[in-house]
Amino acid sequence: MKSDAELVASTLRGSQDAFRELVVRFERPVYSLVQRMVQNPATAEDLAQEVFLKAYRRLDTYDPQWKFSSWLFKIAHNTTIDHLRRGVPETVPLESEDEDHGDLSAVLADVATESPHAAAERRDLGRSLELALAHLRPEYRVAVVMFYAQGASYQEICEVTGLPLGTVKTNLHRARKELAQVMTSLGWGPGGVAASETAKA
Amino acid sequence: MRPKPHDALNRWLAAERADRFEDADAALREMFEALPLLAPAAGFADRVFARAGLQPVKRDVFASLGLRLVLAASLIALSLGAIWLPPVLRALGGLVSLSDVVGLGVRAVAGASRGLALVLRLGEWLFSLGRFLSDLLMAPQAMAALAACILVSVLAFRFLRDQIFGERSLTYVDPM
Repeated sequence: MKSDAELVASTLRGSQDAFRELVVRFERPVYSLVQRMVQNPATAEDLAQEVFLKAYRRLDTYDPQWKFSSWLFKIAHNTTIDHLRRGVPETVPLESEDEDHGDLSAVLADVATESPHAAAERRDLGRSLELALAHLRPEYRVAVVMFYAQGASYQEICEVTGLPLGTVKTNLHRARKELAQVMTSLGWGPGGVAASETAKA
Repeated sequence: MRPKPHDALNRWLAAERADRFEDADAALREMFEALPLLAPAAGFADRVFARAGLQPVKRDVFASLGLRLVLAASLIALSLGAIWLPPVLRALGGLVSLSDVVGLGVRAVAGASRGLALVLRLGEWLFSLGRFLSDLLMAPQAMAALAACILVSVLAFRFLRDQIFGERSLTYVDPM
């Protein structure tokens, strides 16, 4: 399997196959980050496409000393933050959220491998988590998604967001606290309303 | 077996309440790990390519080295076959004499003739059967029975049609 840097070099030499490989390799993490930032599958799809377009056009500015994923996530982060700052009103997709492939709760409800009860639990938790993430400020949200969902290091988050290490750690700490508060207020946790309702269902 | 995100959630919230930040970090990460990454709809790369104005990559069937090797081997085998075919045919020709071939042809013609005779006999039998049935139906009694059947069918059809249309009300009823 070729490394990211090799694929970038091949793309710069004109290989479309190499760029396709890069897109396929990073489409899920990039889309996942953007979707959890904007909380709208259609917008996330559009922005994720934009991220790869920007990456393709600026590929010659990529420095192979750095991790390609960090460089790509930086583009994703900046594109998404720009979108959020523009305050573009979100459009609500016509499809039901439960049926949408890109929706977190739909992905969680993997009925092929779970019992209906377990699937319902995951769906409920997924909805609550989406709601809780939407409550966070964008800089908190990106830190949470990168650190907890994608397993990025503090250093990578610093590179992507352009914030100093101390700020990233503080953001993560505060974000986690806020997330916990929202989840608790939604009834999750030991003896919580949501948890007991799910258990009853 | 997939891990249960609820267990991690409970551990995270409990650690958060107890200010055990390292445990909270670990549990929250575990909870996210139990949740799969979101994915765009299938064909995402194609849509990116279309938006970038790039042509979709056309796969060259003959680009595969394995396929090219197989094709080359097939061509070599075919060439060898073409080279060896005339001597093999000559050798086979030596094994079979002209009288054998003529005998085989005569046997084949005789077999085909027997088959044809069988088919003709079957056709003749079917013709006789048809003729017998037509003679039977041309009799006055049979004609009368046929006419009676047709009459009963027409009456039954008419009765059924009256029943069907008789039960249908054509009066408009306002649903309100």
